[in-house]
Amino acid sequence: MNSRRQFLSAALIGLSAKAERTIAGSFVNDAFPLGHKLRDRTLAVSPKNVVKVPIVIVGGGIAGLSAAWRLDKRGFNDFVLLEMEGEAGGNARSGSNEVTSYPWAAHYIPVPSESARYVRELMEEFGVLKDGEWNERYLCYSPQERLFLHGRWQEDIEPSDSSTPRDREQMKRFAELIREHEETGEFTVPMELGAKPSKLDRTSMLDWLNAQGFDSKYLRWYVNYACRDEYGAGMSDISAWAGIYYFAAHAELDDKGPITQPDGNGWIVKRLVNKLQRHIRTNAPVASIRKTGSKIRVLTPDTEYVCDTLIFAAPLLLAKYLMDDAPPVATQYSPWITANLTLDRMPRERGLDLAWDNVIYDSQSLGYVVATHMSLRSRIDRSVWTWYAAVNDRKMLLEKPWDHWRDTILNDLERAHPDIRQCVSRIDVMRFGHAMARPVPGSIFSESRMRLTKPHGRVLFAHSDVSGFSVFEEAQYRGVIAADRALRMA
Amino acid sequence: MPVVLFFSVFLIAACGLIYELIAGTLASYLLGDSVLQFSTVIGSYLFAMGIGSWLSKYIGRGLVARFIYIELMVGLIGGFSSSILFLAFSWTDSFRFLLYLLVILIGILVGLEIPLLMRILKDRFQFHDLVAHVLTFDYLGALGASLLFPLLLVPRLGLVRSALLFGIINAAVAFWSTFLFRESIGRPAGLRMLSIIVLAALSAGMFGADRIAAMADDDLYADEVIFARNTRYQRIVLTKWKDDIRLFLSSHLQFSSRDEYRYHEGLVHPGLAALPGARQVLVLGGGDGLAVREILKYPSVEKITLVDLDPEMTKIFSSNPALIALNKGSLKSSKVRVINEDAFPWLDNSSEVFDFVVVDFPDPTNYSLGKLYTTAFYRLLARHVSVNGFIVVQSTSPLFAKQSYWCIVTTLKQAGLKTWPYHVYVPSFGEWGFVLAGAGAYEPPATLPSGLRFLATQNVADLFRFPTDMLPVDAEPNRLNDQVLVRYYEREWKDISH
Repeated sequence: MNSRRQFLSAALIGLSAKAERTIAGSFVNDAFPLGHKLRDRTLAVSPKNVVKVPIVIVGGGIAGLSAAWRLDKRGFNDFVLLEMEGEAGGNARSGSNEVTSYPWAAHYIPVPSESARYVRELMEEFGVLKDGEWNERYLCYSPQERLFLHGRWQEDIEPSDSSTPRDREQMKRFAELIREHEETGEFTVPMELGAKPSKLDRTSMLDWLNAQGFDSKYLRWYVNYACRDEYGAGMSDISAWAGIYYFAAHAELDDKGPITQPDGNGWIVKRLVNKLQRHIRTNAPVASIRKTGSKIRVLTPDTEYVCDTLIFAAPLLLAKYLMDDAPPVATQYSPWITANLTLDRMPRERGLDLAWDNVIYDSQSLGYVVATHMSLRSRIDRSVWTWYAAVNDRKMLLEKPWDHWRDTILNDLERAHPDIRQCVSRIDVMRFGHAMARPVPGSIFSESRMRLTKPHGRVLFAHSDVSGFSVFEEAQYRGVIAADRALRMA
Repeated sequence: MPVVLFFSVFLIAACGLIYELIAGTLASYLLGDSVLQFSTVIGSYLFAMGIGSWLSKYIGRGLVARFIYIELMVGLIGGFSSSILFLAFSWTDSFRFLLYLLVILIGILVGLEIPLLMRILKDRFQFHDLVAHVLTFDYLGALGASLLFPLLLVPRLGLVRSALLFGIINAAVAFWSTFLFRESIGRPAGLRMLSIIVLAALSAGMFGADRIAAMADDDLYADEVIFARNTRYQRIVLTKWKDDIRLFLSSHLQFSSRDEYRYHEGLVHPGLAALPGARQVLVLGGGDGLAVREILKYPSVEKITLVDLDPEMTKIFSSNPALIALNKGSLKSSKVRVINEDAFPWLDNSSEVFDFVVVDFPDPTNYSLGKLYTTAFYRLLARHVSVNGFIVVQSTSPLFAKQSYWCIVTTLKQAGLKTWPYHVYVPSFGEWGFVLAGAGAYEPPATLPSGLRFLATQNVADLFRFPTDMLPVDAEPNRLNDQVLVRYYEREWKDISH
């Protein structure tokens, strides 16, 4: 019923409109002050004690936590995990308020196929996968996604309303090409199991689309959206191999996904942290990693750790600031911005029901994800929406004040929700200067990336950066592999 | 000439009254309590006319042109008044505000008409003749309108078209006046052009009237509204026609007091009568207390837990005398515990086990309600039912929404339950479907409580037989992550309504 009270209301209710409300909020969890101290080597360090431990994991994102999970699972307990922030989680971090918990960045995992065996193992451990069946409470509820196109919402993100036969023919041909690539077996999750050096990596996704004669504006928007959403940059900056990988590696499974919870991937972090608590040291930024003889000395503000093997599970751009003999890292990074909007009433909806992932066609943003979507309630009257966007200009990201982002966000959402300003009470904004590795052309099969997959003395790199792009499955795989290698070295 | 002039007085008087009647009718139609609505609408309208008359003294020169402008404005605002109000009611929360705004605007403009007209005509007649004739035709117009409105306009044209028709008459009077008082207007061409534009807009409205009505249609009721309230969760409307009380929740009919006994006897007894000694019963939805009324016919039942989201709903059904007469005061029984919470999370946090569970939710018209018809929900429910107990689910119509009905059966099976589907004929709904589900075995009951009006022991078994046009069809189970039921339901009921 409420869903019908909308469109004209914008015009008519104007007569009785409330005064514009003030919206609270600020920047939160800024990581760059600490990051810049590491870069500038200005972190104050005065260790009072020395701890000897066989294995140290640097970084408490999904890669570091997965390395710890693997060590623990294999019965190895003599290790510590150092996290620079107050809590572990990295890009899978989440927050909560009086309405719901909500994600800060990564908010789902596609339902894993058989090849993603560690993801399946983790889900089995969590009771989400049992006897080959997925617990539907963890799978994204209907309706999963919608697109605001030409003034109305349509089902699914792939534009279909008002598409011409030519658009549809190209969409179909695109799907067929993707299927052909999928059948080569080179586009696997995790990528390392199937990836073979390919000339696709030498060209951009845009050039590839052009070469294939795809000129449908809807198809091009859709592919470009996928690149921005997955890799944080448009298709002209993304390797065609990576662009195709996104589609070919996530073919439709029988089980409708993805796997998600109100706090995105935060629930996975919480369960891992819960299990591995005693190994995790938070507020422990690493100032330097030095080799002395057969030992590696890891310096943090109050403790020096002396270990035999080090799993480097922090963003690889930090390596050269922390290690004297770091291998070259050519990775480029995409800056991001996410915002959590607290809504104390729901905007009027026109047409389709609110979905989990809601995208606005031709918007600069990537849309928003609704935290309360995964609630069992049948009536939702308050919510938190996570709005996200890939930003190209890192300087602008750091310089613009909070008001700028408040207005950008509200102007963006207003296209689809005319009354959004009456609904939002708070906007918290989080800035990520180096949110994720950007798989630019040539990066996937570059020598520098390949070198990072191999041990660097007794330092093992374990981060999704090693795969060249930032997704849960890659981070977890790199963590698990590094843990296995560390155990073999011990 | 004089008769023609006074005929226009007759027409504008009729128009003025029609707008007032439309506003009053719409307000009582949509808000209930017709005495209050009519009184306040007429009062504000007359008061606004007074303001208009008073304002007329500030209009000095160019009387005729001003008069024509006013006619056009009355025509435009009055003509679209009911369209605006209908849409405002359906789509905004500011119906009342707009109602009185329009009533006052139209009132002021109509209040200006007669004083201006009298001043325009004052040089053509003796003053005593003028007053007598103008007022005579004014009152005649009112009589004409008041007879025409209920006898012809509302039944034949409806409220949207009636208003538009009289808007056209107002605009036509304006157009006609440009000829009638030609000598008193400087440039009649501009006014004629404007009149034609207004006439065209109103005529376009007449053609589009069906669409306007359809856009607002869901909130219109055939019978008199005796209670209407927007709660946080839904719009509760009660209508009455003779002895028939009907409940609508967000425009969906929930019951008619004439035949609800068929629905509620059918919902409760086939399952509960087969469980001699059942003590704990859970009712999900059903805030009207009618299922509880049937459950209270079993002395063995010690406790009935009713979970309904909307506190307004259970409040009305335990306080309104007409509704208490209907549910026999069931919600006030000492055996009944009323919990106003969302059923799915409530059940998820509860550890109680029940012998019999009545699931009486609204139909799965959207994805939010559809969650209450999923394998996840039924699996949860199964954990709250005793080993030999039963669940009964109201499951929409197996005739009109065949695949939806059998989808609910499939979903219950997928959740690991045995099912016994059955159906009951309820005249105000048509063929209606229920599904009994449980882990044990089911036999139709050998005895039923006394005093039932519909069910008798020998015909319970018949309910489980489906005629050819309601036989099972293939359907996927409805899951949280793939709510096929909402799509089936939408398609099937759309097919019916076209």
